[in-house]
Amino acid sequence: MRVRLRFFAVLRERLGPGGERSVAAGTTVGALWDALVAERPELGAVRVRYAVNERYVERGHPLADRDEVAFFPPVSGGG
Amino acid sequence: MFRVTKAPLDVPRLLRAVGDPRAGATVVFLGTTRRENAGRAVVRLEYEAYASMATAEMRRLAAAAARRWPLRKVAIVHRIGPVPVGEASVAVVVSAGHRAEAFAACHWLIDRVKEIVPIWKKEHFRGGEAWIGLQRAAAARRRAARRGRR
Repeated sequence: MRVRLRFFAVLRERLGPGGERSVAAGTTVGALWDALVAERPELGAVRVRYAVNERYVERGHPLADRDEVAFFPPVSGGG
Repeated sequence: MFRVTKAPLDVPRLLRAVGDPRAGATVVFLGTTRRENAGRAVVRLEYEAYASMATAEMRRLAAAAARRWPLRKVAIVHRIGPVPVGEASVAVVVSAGHRAEAFAACHWLIDRVKEIVPIWKKEHFRGGEAWIGLQRAAAARRRAARRGRR
């Protein structure tokens, strides 16, 4: 199945804005992040939060075909 | 009104958005770019948002606030892109029947906005630049580690 990746802030600077990626059925969002870190070990130092289809999820959240999966560091909006 | 925008925040427009003849109080919070942060001379802040999720989270927070307090209307707007020193980056505006609930809800909302809404701040200071959430997270980890050692 295919999912859409989105990266923000320091992750966007390192990985670009995102794109499409094939993942095995049943892959969790945490496993997908681990696969990205395996390709780019320097990402392991970033504390990451996960969102699927614009909602926060935990690592164990299973992905579905066509999901939009966002990875980003702790938020820091406000003045 | 819930949005992220590249334009300077338009406070009169926000006040109109929360206008309600049943409201006896309107509270406005504006977060502005400080000239100095952590001993650094700030030149400007630059904000990036996951815009669609940010507005969805703003709506969810406003709905949660309306369950906690009897509110009339809420508007939350966050500016993205560069924000010079002295200008506002975020506005939370709440109208309610009375001031107590308007103050309480506005305070609660800005705290939640800073914790939850997916927006990131990059500080450009004299001599460099830095993403803000990262150091805050690293500092929290260091504090937790120190507490753990005690």
